[in-house]
Amino acid sequence: MGEDKRDVLQGTLDLMVLKTLETMGPQHGYGIARRIEQISEQALRLNQGTIYPALLRLRQRGWIRADWGTSENGRRARYYSLTKTGKAQIEKETESWERVAATMARFLTVQ
Amino acid sequence: MFRRPALDQELDEELRSHLELAAVENQRRGMAADEAWRKALRDFGGVTQVRETVRVREGLAFAENLRRDLGYALRMLKMSPGFAAIAIGSLALGIGANTAIFSIAKQVLLDRLNVPRAGELRLFAWRSKRQSVVHSSWGDWDRTADGAGVTSTSFSYPVYQLMRKQNHELADLFAFKNLGRINVTVDGEAQVVQGDLVSGNFYDQMGVQPQLGRAIGPADDDKPGGSPVAVISDGYWTRQFNRSPLVIGKTILVNLVNVTIVGVNPRGFTGAKGTQNSPELFLPFSMQPLVFPYSTMDSLLTSDRVWWTQIMARAKPGLDEAKARAALDVALKSAVRATMTVKPNESLPDLLLTDGSRGMNESAREMARPLFVLISLVGLVVLLACANMANLLLARAAARQREMSVRMALGAGRARILRQVMTESLLLAVLGGLAGLVVGYFGRNAILAMLSSPAEPMTLPGGFDWGVFAFNAALSLVTGLLFGLGPAWQATRTQVSSALKDSAQTTTRRRRGYAGRAIVGFQVALSTLLVVMAGFFLRTVINLGRIDPGFDPRNIVLFEVRPPQSQYSGAKGTALFRQIEERLATVPGVMLVSPTSVPPLSHDYESDDFKPVGKKVAAGKEESALNTAVGDRYFATFRVPILAGRGFAPTDTETSPKVAVVNQALAKKYFPNENPIGKSFKTSDPKNDKLIYQIVGVCADTRYGSLREVPPPVYYLDYRQSPEIDWGMTFAVKTRTARAGITPSLRRAVQAVDPNLPLIDVRTQEEQIEVLLMNERVFADLTTGFGVLALALACIGIYGLMAYTVSRRTNEIGIRMALGARSDQVLRMVLGEAVWMTAIGLAVGLGGALALGRVVASQLYGLKAWDPATLTAAAALLIFVALGATWVPARRAAGVDPSRALRAE
Repeated sequence: MGEDKRDVLQGTLDLMVLKTLETMGPQHGYGIARRIEQISEQALRLNQGTIYPALLRLRQRGWIRADWGTSENGRRARYYSLTKTGKAQIEKETESWERVAATMARFLTVQ
Repeated sequence: MFRRPALDQELDEELRSHLELAAVENQRRGMAADEAWRKALRDFGGVTQVRETVRVREGLAFAENLRRDLGYALRMLKMSPGFAAIAIGSLALGIGANTAIFSIAKQVLLDRLNVPRAGELRLFAWRSKRQSVVHSSWGDWDRTADGAGVTSTSFSYPVYQLMRKQNHELADLFAFKNLGRINVTVDGEAQVVQGDLVSGNFYDQMGVQPQLGRAIGPADDDKPGGSPVAVISDGYWTRQFNRSPLVIGKTILVNLVNVTIVGVNPRGFTGAKGTQNSPELFLPFSMQPLVFPYSTMDSLLTSDRVWWTQIMARAKPGLDEAKARAALDVALKSAVRATMTVKPNESLPDLLLTDGSRGMNESAREMARPLFVLISLVGLVVLLACANMANLLLARAAARQREMSVRMALGAGRARILRQVMTESLLLAVLGGLAGLVVGYFGRNAILAMLSSPAEPMTLPGGFDWGVFAFNAALSLVTGLLFGLGPAWQATRTQVSSALKDSAQTTTRRRRGYAGRAIVGFQVALSTLLVVMAGFFLRTVINLGRIDPGFDPRNIVLFEVRPPQSQYSGAKGTALFRQIEERLATVPGVMLVSPTSVPPLSHDYESDDFKPVGKKVAAGKEESALNTAVGDRYFATFRVPILAGRGFAPTDTETSPKVAVVNQALAKKYFPNENPIGKSFKTSDPKNDKLIYQIVGVCADTRYGSLREVPPPVYYLDYRQSPEIDWGMTFAVKTRTARAGITPSLRRAVQAVDPNLPLIDVRTQEEQIEVLLMNERVFADLTTGFGVLALALACIGIYGLMAYTVSRRTNEIGIRMALGARSDQVLRMVLGEAVWMTAIGLAVGLGGALALGRVVASQLYGLKAWDPATLTAAAALLIFVALGATWVPARRAAGVDPSRALRAE
């Protein structure tokens, strides 16, 4: 397919971003990054900056949309929101994640 | 990629806003301002790095995707070379053929003279009732559409001069005349070239400057013979003089007169007559009496009687053309009255201003309809090619549906897949277009070669027509995109999971079935149409070839001798022909010789008054008939039987009683129920109004100028007793041996009489007839080619569709056979489907053929536009092809092993 090896990690980050937007509604990059940090209870020590390539990727795929708005402190900020395809994608990704997790669980319990 | 600065700005703004939000939150937690900022930066990670990553990703995204798509597309094509070859091949043929023919047609029909603002040019013409004041003309002479009058573009030179003086409406009137073929001698070598006469203001008014030397100017057109100069065409300069600048000042002999070349026309300039080919020589009108003497006249420039000159003028934009025409019409009529005596029943000409931007456009008038027919046929071929490509793409899309679903399941976006498919289709279209370019280029040259004849070589000066090519390329692109994207759109809409299931029945497949069948049906219809057309034209050519011309054309060599009028006028000319005739008869291998003023079947017509003595011809009826001046062994040479009385004999000389031979058609027309032998008739010539001939014989009917026309009434005169011969004579030599061997001896015989007389246009009578049929033959060749192409494409289309259907339905077939169906039943099922599809296509195609047949009816010969034999044969051929194409897939279906089929995917 031509996607590189970082796809797995990217894929998980993508799903997190999508879920965040689903829960929080439209949000700017900083807000999404902070939320991911909070939910993962600081276990994921990502550099916040890495969210931006991911957001670009998701935009190129047509799963999220970007619009300019005003942030809490009055500054211009870019707000991201889910597209219809993006919403459908969450379901697909969730399903496949759960399948992977279940398979792994079975492996790990078998001796 | 081009919006780089704006994108960068946006990203920077976004990142800055992110950092500020982070800093604000850190401050709220109690940090100092600068510490808050530093923490924000640390938490962010490398700002520059992020910026770079995003920028690169954005920039590369496009190029990267394109490269990946192209690579993938190329690999896919390499994996199915058959598909690629067929798709690209049919595109190439369709686009190439269409481009070639379209560009020729456009140039013949639409292209304008290569002069500035050609749209301003007006060609003068006139129209009058049948009994016109103009009796003698050289040039166009046509019946008007309603048949009640005549129209022509020829004017007398004095009338031109008078109109020019009285013209205040249009720009200066200028004149030209295409002389046709003239003898020139260059460096001792005798040649025949095409020549034009032009007036002194021609170049100035046309707005054309020579590329070398000078143009013909008013000073050259002043005194007759005063300025023996000529300008040559660019083509002639290349062919004859190797583009040497030394050509300026070179002297050549034109009709044995010394003429100096003073200029070379720019490339692409073809004179005023037409856009297709350029005459080699341009001479001032003042040279007419010397280089092209007409009949026995001293000079056409002073003749009030002969109408021969073409006139054009530029109309300034914004001009009230109706007013201009009216004013010039007055000038014309007054000029006519000043130069001619108008008899009471003769009508004066009315002036017409016609569009001159395409010159005189004669061949366009002849070729217009056939060209339109050709264009539509080629258009159909292009459609066929596109249909083929569509079918192939559909088949591929369906076959790759699983692949697409898998890709989508693995995360590829729909847009991504569609973009991939689009790239593939575009790649195909581009490759097909490039191949089509090559085909079109060579095809155009090939067709031009087919359309040329030695007398009028067709060398369209324009280059390749990119507009036409672009149109065709766009057409193929659209088809590719439509049929590439369409099914892909469908495929990516279906549920991923269901498409991955093995025996899934999706709506896509059913639709694909209908679409595929519709396309193949369409192909069959088009092929039927093209095959029928090919059949029509082939049969026309065959029928024309079978026509009995009324004489025996075998083993007859024809050539013209044109003696210079300055040396051989009047009786001297006749004596010369007699000498040549006798000399030729002594050449070994020659059986019979006869000069003739009109060689048969050469589209040449001579007509003169024919007034039977003692008969009252009804007013308004024709008093003229076609005639030929021949030698006394003419009827023997051509083996035309004399049915009554006698032919000519050596005893019919200049001084013996004037006699004539008529053909049956003339006898029937003018002397029904009587014996024409012994009757007399009157005819006239420029000098003598009272020539009376007595009919001494009746000969069989023969075709005169064309094969299609029924033999017309013709009277024959012995050339020694006939009115002056203008141009020269054609000699018909009946030989015992093949032509090539004998020509040098014939040439020697003629040159023994006068060493300066070349043999012009040596050909055989049979070759002459072939030239006559050339258009029809070209048509037959082209349409047969199209028909074959169409059959091949339809065959491939049917095969492809049936193979696909069978492979898809392997399961179903397996079940049927497991339930007891026999092989031959399966075979019949598959064949039946093909027949059904073919039948519908046939019906539509035959309907179209009937409609198109009516359009081309005038071009056909010997068969009706709904000729049942051709239609049946075409239908049979198509059914045969369809069944043939289905045979292999059908056998495969019948050979399906039920157990394997049920187990397989």
